[in-house]
Amino acid sequence: MVFEAALARDMAVAEADEVARLRRRDPAALAGLVERYQHRLYRYLFRLVRNPAAAEDLFQQTWLNVVRQIGRFDSRSSFDPWLFAVAHNAAIDHLRRKTGESLEECGSEARTAAPDALEAAMESERAAILDAAMAALPAVQREALTLRFEEGMKLEEIAAVTGAPLSTVKSRVQRALESLRERMTARWRKEDLL
Amino acid sequence: MNSHQTIREWLALSAAGLLEPAEERAVRDHVRECAECAGALEALAGLSGDLGALPPPEIPPGLAARTSVLVAAEMEAAADRRRSEWLAAASGVFAWLMALAAYFAGRAVGGTLWAWLAWSVLFPLVAVPVVAAVLKSRLPERRGI
Repeated sequence: MVFEAALARDMAVAEADEVARLRRRDPAALAGLVERYQHRLYRYLFRLVRNPAAAEDLFQQTWLNVVRQIGRFDSRSSFDPWLFAVAHNAAIDHLRRKTGESLEECGSEARTAAPDALEAAMESERAAILDAAMAALPAVQREALTLRFEEGMKLEEIAAVTGAPLSTVKSRVQRALESLRERMTARWRKEDLL
Repeated sequence: MNSHQTIREWLALSAAGLLEPAEERAVRDHVRECAECAGALEALAGLSGDLGALPPPEIPPGLAARTSVLVAAEMEAAADRRRSEWLAAASGVFAWLMALAAYFAGRAVGGTLWAWLAWSVLFPLVAVPVVAAVLKSRLPERRGI
């Protein structure tokens, strides 16, 4: 526990140093930050847009925007919510440009687990079904879930990233979880996984 | 006392860890006596755990390296643009100083107004094409994203 806390503190110091160097346009600092955040940022974007090619484009666009807007970042605050807010804006613009896509409406029902996946282990089946159920949620609800459960962000941080009031964030998480529970219960019963 | 309906609405937020301490206590007290809400909370808590354990998407190979190269090129292009802007501003100041110097030089040698005007025009006429040529050679090519 002490080791983890010390490691987290060292990481925070290293990150602050990289952000400070990025403000001075240091390409090595940029490479370090891209490397450090690649998995979390790509996962967030992928969950939001549900398309690998679009997630990749948005990943690159996010870092271009980070470099352009780094002067506006307040170095006394945490870099994480600011970075994810930049990614959020890029992703929301992308979703708005897509014809027929609404951020608040339900997404199209995702492809369900492939037959070979159904033969896989029960845990991975549950994950595949959950992933498919998430795809059917509106983008803003998917975003709230991934920021809360995969990024482990607090309510205030999610609000900062999405630019939504706290009550709206709570409402999105609540509706998303309840909607998922209904879908999952129905599917698990159908697949006899319960 | 919170109603059964109010508690039901809090169950998802409880599973997400987003309730205030007093609300959380009310949920805990209620589910001890309400089997329906206890079952719903258990399902939601399980779902929350599953969401946190979803397999991450496979990241495209070389994405970080490609992004670093792309963004570094953009940073270099932006630096070029800033240098060109500074150069243009400095050249403008230089041309103005030359015109001023020509005025004082004209006055020192006792020249007429026409001589001063000739000198004032001569310097910018030389300086402006030189600056334009320098800027043209330094302006970065437009780069697509």
